[in-house]
Amino acid sequence: MSYPSKLTAIIDLFSGLSDAEKRETLIAYADQARLQEPREGERFDLEDVRKDDECTDTVGIHLRLDEGGRAHFRITLGPQVQTLTRAMSSILCKGLEGITPTEVLEIPADFVPKIVGAELVRLRSQTVYYLLTRMKGVAKVWLQRQRAFCPSQESEI
Amino acid sequence: MSIDSKYTHPEVLVTTAWVNEHLKDDDLRIIESNEDILLYETGHLPEAIHIDWLRDLQDQTVRDYIQPEAFATLCSRNGITPETTCVFYGDKSNWWSCYALWVFQLFGHEKVKIMDGGRDKWIAEGRPLTRQVPHPIQTSYPIPAVRRDAEIRAFYEDALAQSQSCLPLIDVRSPSEFKGLVTHMPEYPQEGVLRGGHIPGAKSVPWKDAVNTDATFKNAEELRDIYQKNLGLKPDDEIVVYCRIGERSSHTWFVLNYLLGFKKVRNYDGSWTEWGNRVRAPIEKSV
Repeated sequence: MSYPSKLTAIIDLFSGLSDAEKRETLIAYADQARLQEPREGERFDLEDVRKDDECTDTVGIHLRLDEGGRAHFRITLGPQVQTLTRAMSSILCKGLEGITPTEVLEIPADFVPKIVGAELVRLRSQTVYYLLTRMKGVAKVWLQRQRAFCPSQESEI
Repeated sequence: MSIDSKYTHPEVLVTTAWVNEHLKDDDLRIIESNEDILLYETGHLPEAIHIDWLRDLQDQTVRDYIQPEAFATLCSRNGITPETTCVFYGDKSNWWSCYALWVFQLFGHEKVKIMDGGRDKWIAEGRPLTRQVPHPIQTSYPIPAVRRDAEIRAFYEDALAQSQSCLPLIDVRSPSEFKGLVTHMPEYPQEGVLRGGHIPGAKSVPWKDAVNTDATFKNAEELRDIYQKNLGLKPDDEIVVYCRIGERSSHTWFVLNYLLGFKKVRNYDGSWTEWGNRVRAPIEKSV
């Protein structure tokens, strides 16, 4: 499957960067992580905020669907979450903006090393994959609920 | 807070206030070493350089440390001479700064210190951070004659012999890892280990027992209670410490070697990711 266009643009941006420039750009994305948090008054269709045993801190995934069935994600991260994961939260919120929950489920995770670079993907940096998994989990639950409540709409989702 | 003068080597610990006053000392190099790969770039102590435990200190092919030539190059590039006092600090209660210090000790760099409380304490006190990366004048660090593996590092065979001889083995991982209930450390992903448990005969003393809530080390009396009074260790004992990959055990190695003055402590850096994967390595579980 090809990536969503906004995510493709981010992947393309990183593909032309040197390792040093990649690091700088990741820091810039990490700096913007707070901007991806829920804003005052925002309502969500599904929220999943929890701390898993294998993770350093709490990660919250907040999903809102607009009238066109397009997904809009917000992410909250606890203070102990690593910089690389903060960067990935910005990248994923921007890159997956406006696609459908079904499309979220189809996104392969192989774009991560293309963005991050092999040197930065370490055993203890696997939360960069974990974020996408959590977003897919929320999208999947939302889809299951929709199918349970509105089976006739399944083909439209 | 000052450094407890009752430590055996109180001179190896410095306070954040001390570091703040010595940021620009010529004979000093402040070194940040973290688990968070990009944390240094988000802001660090003024004049601090960055040493990455994996990229800079480990061989990139074999699971081993760099050779003396590479260590000399690393130091030279960062403006370090044998006379330079290296002050290490970092995230995670100074796990990785203790690890880096231990690797510097493998190459016999004696002038080392740890900033007590690490990066978190510096930030909690509202002290300055910068994104400006210093560019020290290159030096010519002599290539160390040897790497002191035999003195302060233990290998699988050493840990096995330690176990079979009923000599002190300290497992510094969390109690759940020690018992074999989990194969990852709390709050971390699995690091590819096939079996859970501990080396037969090892005693569980989590690294965390040695620190206060602000990541500073406990005082000398508290540490002696933990390791000498409760565990029964003696300063002349031959001791091996281990965790999963050797960073948490570097922290305990630092405590035993410097703060309590134990003379024969070795860090088994292969640790559980080697032992728990090794075919036919004996394993003990407990509940």
